[in-house]
Amino acid sequence: MPLVRTERLTKSFGALTAVNEVSIEVEEGSLHSVIGPNGAGKTTFFNLLTGQHTPTSGRIIFDGHDIAGTPPHRVAHLGIARSFQRTSIFPTLSILDNVWLAAFARQESWRGLAWRRADRYPELTRRALVVLGEVGLSEKAGQPAREISHGEQRQLELAIALAAAPRLLLLDEPAAGLSPDETQKMVALVRKFKGRYTIILIEHKIDVVMTMSDRISVMHFGSVIAEGTPREIQRNPEVRRAYLGGVPAS
Amino acid sequence: MSKAWLAIVAAVVLLPVFVRQAIATEIWIFAIFGLGLNLLMGYTGLLSFGQATFFGSGAYVAGYLLKYYGVNVFLALGVGIVVGAVLAAAVGYLCVQRSGLYFIMLTFALNQMFYFTAYQWTTVTGGEDGMPGIPRPSVLGFDIHRPLAYYSAVAVLFLLSLWVMKCIVDSPLGKILQAIRENELRAEALGYNVPRMKLAAFVVGGAFSGLAGVLYAMLFGIVPLESIGFVFSGNVVFATLIGGSGSLYGPVIGSFVFIWLSESVSSMWARWPLLLGVAFVIVVLFFRGGVVEAWARFWIWRAVRRAPDAVQADASR
Amino acid sequence: MNVPLLFSQILNGLATGMLYALMGIGLSIITGVLNIPNFAHGALFALGAYFLYTLIQLTGNFWLALLLAPLGVGLLGVLIEYGGIRPLYKAGHDYQLLLTFGLSLIVTESIIIVWSPVGMSQLPPPILRGGVDLGITFYPKYRLFVMVSAALLVLGAWLFLEKTRYGAIMRAGIEDKEMVALLGIDIHRLFTAAFALGCVLAGIAGALTAPIRGLNPWMGVDMLGIAFVVVALAGLGNLLGSIVAGLLVGLAQSLVALVWPEASVAVIFAVMAAVLLVRPQGLFGIR
Repeated sequence: MPLVRTERLTKSFGALTAVNEVSIEVEEGSLHSVIGPNGAGKTTFFNLLTGQHTPTSGRIIFDGHDIAGTPPHRVAHLGIARSFQRTSIFPTLSILDNVWLAAFARQESWRGLAWRRADRYPELTRRALVVLGEVGLSEKAGQPAREISHGEQRQLELAIALAAAPRLLLLDEPAAGLSPDETQKMVALVRKFKGRYTIILIEHKIDVVMTMSDRISVMHFGSVIAEGTPREIQRNPEVRRAYLGGVPAS
Repeated sequence: MSKAWLAIVAAVVLLPVFVRQAIATEIWIFAIFGLGLNLLMGYTGLLSFGQATFFGSGAYVAGYLLKYYGVNVFLALGVGIVVGAVLAAAVGYLCVQRSGLYFIMLTFALNQMFYFTAYQWTTVTGGEDGMPGIPRPSVLGFDIHRPLAYYSAVAVLFLLSLWVMKCIVDSPLGKILQAIRENELRAEALGYNVPRMKLAAFVVGGAFSGLAGVLYAMLFGIVPLESIGFVFSGNVVFATLIGGSGSLYGPVIGSFVFIWLSESVSSMWARWPLLLGVAFVIVVLFFRGGVVEAWARFWIWRAVRRAPDAVQADASR
Repeated sequence: MNVPLLFSQILNGLATGMLYALMGIGLSIITGVLNIPNFAHGALFALGAYFLYTLIQLTGNFWLALLLAPLGVGLLGVLIEYGGIRPLYKAGHDYQLLLTFGLSLIVTESIIIVWSPVGMSQLPPPILRGGVDLGITFYPKYRLFVMVSAALLVLGAWLFLEKTRYGAIMRAGIEDKEMVALLGIDIHRLFTAAFALGCVLAGIAGALTAPIRGLNPWMGVDMLGIAFVVVALAGLGNLLGSIVAGLLVGLAQSLVALVWPEASVAVIFAVMAAVLLVRPQGLFGIR
């Protein structure tokens, strides 16, 4: 059963069609990658899923319901969490707080919102520390988020998404700007979460995508030009043309 | 009790010894006003340049009830808080939909609307002359006409307000507001209804401002037109910045600095707003981060200057 | 219904509306290009009026004064931008606000010291005194002059911004400063020019207003709020929007003055509040 699927999802900005009739199905528990050259519309696709943009046409069916056009703050409560391509954290807040806020938002009740001391929510604090432990940042929990390295900030970016205990995890280039070593660590992390969450992954590093994905969709100029298993995609001449500009298949 | 609280309680107790009671009272009133603004400005990142709307409205409405209906003091305080909160909800609703510069301009423009309304509605507000004759009814049988008695009452309310603000700032809401200041889009993506949270902060700020307004009216026995004007709005922004908008106690320090400054200068020269303007310009050009940070930097500079001597001493051993 | 009165109120509304549009455009340019809240804009308007007054005292020539007064305000603007605003580009709106707010206090108090705390009056030049017979009503010549010249100035501003290269740079600066800098354009000079232009427009509006409403040290404060209303309704950098919003506000004010004079100022803000309730992004903003 696909946890999420889009039906001919389209987003136009005036004359520019950034996402063009994209229909993708993602099975629960699988890792589905979306790849394509820069400007292919991948991040816009994510923005449609998370409500930052409203589709021009088409549907987004999540867990059986059409959620197209749901505002971003409600999307989080549906169980969809996202990490951003450009690190989007809360710089002066502590690492723990960054993650804690993600966990608090998803609580059933916000009792004590304005009067209970934030450090008196033991269950939430525990959960936040567990998530930090999973990404390897628990020693730095008290530090302000802006003081850690770029690589560690990408880990934090992931941790914030995880802390929301989502069903669907949207990862937008988690390895962006990471050194080969750091990329290895990130890949290991994402692999750890495969199966636990349903993941849609946008990545440029093809080797990463090929080793981890159950299925891959290739986007170019807003449309999906190919879809299939990693093997199938590797062999696909359309894909080669899109990436490499007309190099003949060997 | 933390060191900061100890210091503040000590200040509350000792201040009337060093400063005229009326000025001391004004300092704590202005500090309450500043606490309200700081929740918006320092914590949420919303620069509201129209807090006098709520300060003045609270003063006028409560003042009117005190003067013509002889209501008891608790009702007057309650009215001030509620008027401030309700007006802030209305003004805030219009303003939080826009951000950045638009937000600032809108808060100012709406402040002007209330100002002009107060200016024109002379039958109720007294227009330019203000609303004199505000009584100071007794509190639970205690007469608070004597300056020291009123000072004590205001000081208690200040400590209470500070405690309430501390609770809010330490609560999840406090963290959410800071998150909104740091990264609105991410806060929204996490699941927080950002405009609604901003509105909540606005309402709290308005409530504090309204309370301060009533206390001000009862202090001077009059509600002057200025109390709802933009200069007042600017003054509280200045006081909060100069005290340091990053912390809970910044507005308290800023209130000290500002009231002391303005009281000493205004008695000397009718054109004292000129000096106030000059002070604003100098502070923003040379003392960013506020008095607290400048003070901290000064001490660090001193310590660093001493350090080479210490190294010297070590090396020669 | 007193038709002549209504007609002249409509004309009044158009005249003040054009002035409001000028103020809105000037503020829009400054705020849009420099991205700062300019709380000194009203004070600069007042200075334009007071400079006009003094220049007429000195030279006896209204037209010369009308030309020089805005330039004087523009020159002051260059100094302010260079000395006060430039150091605060990166500082954050709260500091910029305090700077411009402090400047407005300084200017207003200086006006009181240099000229007078009491209001003064200024007659229009002899050629524009008296009224003209428009058929329906007799209307003051000077107000017609203000309406026409303000409209011409607005047109000139539009031509400058839309049709000249420098104007295009300014509009680009409002949209995307980084890109403009990357294109090799001196961003500092652009900022100074934009600020000076805004000041000149405010100064002209003030100079034109003096013979209508007289001068008083707080004439700028009232104008500041109205300029903000125009910009909030029109959106930053939206020239056409500023014109429409300015006229709307001017007409609303003068028509309300017919039936409820005390509310004629507050109504401006009430109109703004009403529009924003229905369209939070302003008349022309994009959601």
